Amino acid sequence: MKAILHIVEHDFRNFFRYKWWLVGLISMNLADLFIMAIVYNRMLSSEIEQQIKSYFNFFAPGLTITGLFASAFMIGREVNMERRREVHQYMLSLPMTRMELAIGRVLSGGLRGMVYMSPLLLTCFAFLGFPTVWQFPIILAVLFFLAIGISGLSIAIAVSTSSLEKFITARGLVYYTLFFCSSVFYPLSLIQKLGQEGKFPTVLVTLAEVNPLSSGADLIRSFLLGNPPFSLNMILNVLVFSAIFTVSAAFAYIKIIQE
Amino acid sequence: MRAIWFVSQIVLFGLIASRMINVQEVPDYFRYYVAGLSVMTLYSAAIFIGFDIYEEAEHGVFEYLLSLPVSRRQLVLGRSIGGGLRSFIYVGPLIGVSLYVIGSANPLSFLVSLFALFLFSFGVAGMSITIAVMIKSSDRFDILMGVLDALIVRLSTAMYPLAVVQAANPLYGAVASFNPVTYAADLFRWGTGIEAIITLDNPLMALLGIIMFFAFFTFVGVILYDRRIEGGGWQ
Repeated sequence: MKAILHIVEHDFRNFFRYKWWLVGLISMNLADLFIMAIVYNRMLSSEIEQQIKSYFNFFAPGLTITGLFASAFMIGREVNMERRREVHQYMLSLPMTRMELAIGRVLSGGLRGMVYMSPLLLTCFAFLGFPTVWQFPIILAVLFFLAIGISGLSIAIAVSTSSLEKFITARGLVYYTLFFCSSVFYPLSLIQKLGQEGKFPTVLVTLAEVNPLSSGADLIRSFLLGNPPFSLNMILNVLVFSAIFTVSAAFAYIKIIQE
Repeated sequence: MRAIWFVSQIVLFGLIASRMINVQEVPDYFRYYVAGLSVMTLYSAAIFIGFDIYEEAEHGVFEYLLSLPVSRRQLVLGRSIGGGLRSFIYVGPLIGVSLYVIGSANPLSFLVSLFALFLFSFGVAGMSITIAVMIKSSDRFDILMGVLDALIVRLSTAMYPLAVVQAANPLYGAVASFNPVTYAADLFRWGTGIEAIITLDNPLMALLGIIMFFAFFTFVGVILYDRRIEGGGWQ
């Protein structure tokens, strides 16, 4: 456990080296909320307006997930850089087991995501209202598992790609597919309707339904806005995603750094 | 990478988001968005020249450039035109994709809008060079360009019409009215014949705005580059 904490500390120190970069990223996120979402609010069709009431309120939880994803994914870039520069030889020489090292990396990636996401979540609470005493820990727990899963996914991609370009391209593919096929920017019903009309591939509609980013955003919406209604599947989707990618990232990390 | 972003923005975000929009506000949001997306992509490609300058400073290429038998002014003009031209070539196929989606009605209007986009990309490249040589720190540049990108693109008509921006917030509307991204996006839409869904009263004003933007950043860039190119201090 102590070894894992050392790894977490190491990764947090790295994270705060980019504090100005983080400030820039947060301001971009806030620009999305306070400019883009406010303007989109004025353009909604009456059908969507009836469903979500306000795009600003709808988008605020989605933005929290966007911030969580971007920051939890950063660990992958560092792991990829370490692999290319062979810093992992040093990591392997540390007095800890391979599993502790791998779990420490996945955990720190997730925790960094949580830290970065917290001002965005607070902004969301400030405008949408605060959750109840039992809803708040559920939101935090689900977001934590989501962050761990995203961190695991980024590490799995980082150790499977040999160059920065390949990593960035893979990250882009994953990022755009997961975000645009989710309910982060628009209601899930819109994607389902397009699927029913045959204008959107069924596989992408299914992806949007089981997408953990959809589940995370919709969980916050269900607690703060009451729409969509809360469903246990939201938690289950995130837990399955987190379990799969935490385990696969840990084993892929151990296997690759020992090669 | 940018091509993946562009295509996924069209076939995923553009397609789904267009279903969210009130057709009375924007009759064909999909085509509207695709045109704006081309300008956003051109903007972010042209910005990249600033990052190249930092890479050259880091690898000592700057000293080599300074030793060439060309004046500083020729050097910065060449960089600005080169940066604009290469981003235009880079984004060319993506503009081709958007033309396929949007279609083009009047070849003359389209050529005028293409010329405006050329000037716009030179201007953005000049702006990127100007800011890069002013702050001389790649980290600060990275952050500043990110924030600037967020503000300049969102406070423009790249994603939504000016009338909607003005109705949402008069301050946003005022900024969007004097934004080169607005001029470029509106002129591109005008050139491709979808001006029916924009509020471009006079294309000449937008063209004039682009020319002023291009002239300002090219010539200010020349002066600043000339003054700050020597003496090191790059971080």
